[in-house]
Parts: sequence; C-alpha cells; structure tokens
Amino acid sequence: MRDRKTLRRRTGSLEAWRDTKAGMWAWLLQRAAAVGLIAVIALHLQNPFARPVQAALLGLVLFHGVLGLRSILLDFGWPARWHRLLLLLAVVAAAAAFALVWKWRWY
Amino acid sequence: MVLKVFRWGPGTRERLQKYWVRARQGMTVLDALVEVQRNSDPTLAFRYACRVGMCGSCGMVINGRERWACRTLLSGLPRGAVTVRPLYNFPLIRDLVVDMTPLKSKVLAVKAVFVPARRAAEDAGFAQVGSGSRERRAIDGGIECIGCGMCVSACTMVGHDPRFPGPAALNRVFTLQRDSRDGAHAERGGLLLGEDVLARCHGQGNCTDVCPMEISPTDSILALRRRAVLRLLGFQR
Repeated sequence: MRDRKTLRRRTGSLEAWRDTKAGMWAWLLQRAAAVGLIAVIALHLQNPFARPVQAALLGLVLFHGVLGLRSILLDFGWPARWHRLLLLLAVVAAAAAFALVWKWRWY
Repeated sequence: MVLKVFRWGPGTRERLQKYWVRARQGMTVLDALVEVQRNSDPTLAFRYACRVGMCGSCGMVINGRERWACRTLLSGLPRGAVTVRPLYNFPLIRDLVVDMTPLKSKVLAVKAVFVPARRAAEDAGFAQVGSGSRERRAIDGGIECIGCGMCVSACTMVGHDPRFPGPAALNRVFTLQRDSRDGAHAERGGLLLGEDVLARCHGQGNCTDVCPMEISPTDSILALRRRAVLRLLGFQR
C-alpha cells in the first residue's frame, strides 16, 4: 500500500508561528486569559488584598471580556475582515479600562 | 537567494532541501521553483497550471503562510531564505503536490451540491437569480471560490477535527442555502447542526486571511450559524 502522509501545522516549530494571523492570536489570548484567571482567582480567594493579584485579576477579566465582546460582535454579523481592527480595539479598550479603574481605586 | 523546499515521497524521509536561485526583478516563487526544476533538480514535484493567479493550483505554504506561488513575488518576502511547503491538512502525493480529494469529499459530506427545487421541465427556461437582487448580492463574494484549498490548509479546526467540513465546503453551503432555486435547504440545515459542523468553527479567521480571492468563509460560516440558531428557535424552516 502507498504511504499516506498529511502535514499538519506544528505548533512546536517557530515557522508555524511565523505567520500566525490576528484572529488566531485573539482566540489564543482569550483562552490563555481564561486559564490564567483560574489560577488568579484561586490566589485571590486566599488573599483578596494582595495588590499584584488584584492587578492580574482585573487585567485578565478585562482582557478576556473585551475579546469575548469582539467574538460576539463577529457572531452578530460584523464583517470578519474587521477582526484585526477589533483585536486592536479590544486590546486598547482593555488597557484603557485597566488604567482608569486602577487609577480610580474607589475602595 | 536560498529556497528551502519540502521534499518527501513514498518510502523516503521528509526533509527541507536547499536550492540557490539567482533572484531577478519580478521573479515569483513559482518562477524560482520552475528554474530549480529545469536547471538543477528535475525530480522536484509541484503543481501549477495558469501561472497568472486564476486557477489556484499552485497554492503552497510559503514562509508559513498559504499563498499562490505564481502571485508571490520574491521581492515581497522578507530577506533571507524562503521556505516552501505543501498545503497542510491534505494527503501528500510527493514534494509540494497534495491530493485534493478531501476538498471534494468534505463538499459531498455536507451536501454542498446544487439540488434543483423544481425539475427543469417545469421551468420555462433556466431559473434565474437577478444580478442586482438581494439574494445574489448576499452570495456575490462566496461564489468566487476557485477550490485552491488554501483556506482548508490554514484552518486549525480542520487539522484538529477531520470530520469538520472546513471553510471551503461551508462557504459553498452558504451560497446554496441562500439560493432560492435550491431544494435541499432543510436537509442541509439538519446536517449543519451536527456537533462537528458549524459549532466546530472558532471564528479565528485564518481562512479569510489567506483566501487569494478575498472571500470570507468566516462570514459565510457565521451567517450560516445565525440562520441555524433561528432555525433552532423555530423562526426559520
């Protein structure tokens, strides 16, 4: 029987990441933020007053949230060609919201 | 310049083989491959036909991205060696040549073929969809697919789930589901709700980014998904 071989993108190689598209980064970063949140929430429950953990929690929640909004907008019919712009806006919005909330420090 | 070309054949080990090519002005990756084949290695296998960016048969992964070799200028790539691989997610035949059969089998798996709603004899001539109609405008982009397979290669979910039909087949389904002359909407609608079909797309947009015809299969899939949700909620047949 003839050999059958199918190439798959190897995530372990640099070349596979060389041209990773914006939509892929958006997806990956949102998942990574979710995984990070699990760890940060566990730390936060142990000591709710640790400032670095608070910062991480706020940052990850915002990042995960705005990337989720981006997905929802695309789901509801915003053109997929805008996804790079939406990713950029999501990152900027998350950073701006983080800066505002952190500076405000209402508690 | 240096070309690093993927080589593999049945019974041999895969490797990246280096070739030196004198880059000329206006030279494309396809030109470079042809030069290698003619002047230094006639055993190098790759596929092409029109050479002018119409047929899509020279789709390859160039520097990590799916592109058509005939439209990719060497001068447009970053300095350094250019790596050329065959499309991902397709069975290899040899070197840069892949077997495109999965493209067809995925199309058939989701019944992405036209099924006339009425028999031809019942129509007084060909059924028509006006070029300016809303129905036609909705699928204008989608019908330009040339079946090059680059979207299937770029899609991470095709690589992850072999049962996922992939962007090309689902884009074709979209054009049919919006076609009033087609009579298989309900049947396809049921298939689309399967676990490995619409729900499997994660909207990463890789297919849209690499499509040489600037089609957006992501938009087609998301539109199908909205229709599927309406169908589930009973708002649409």
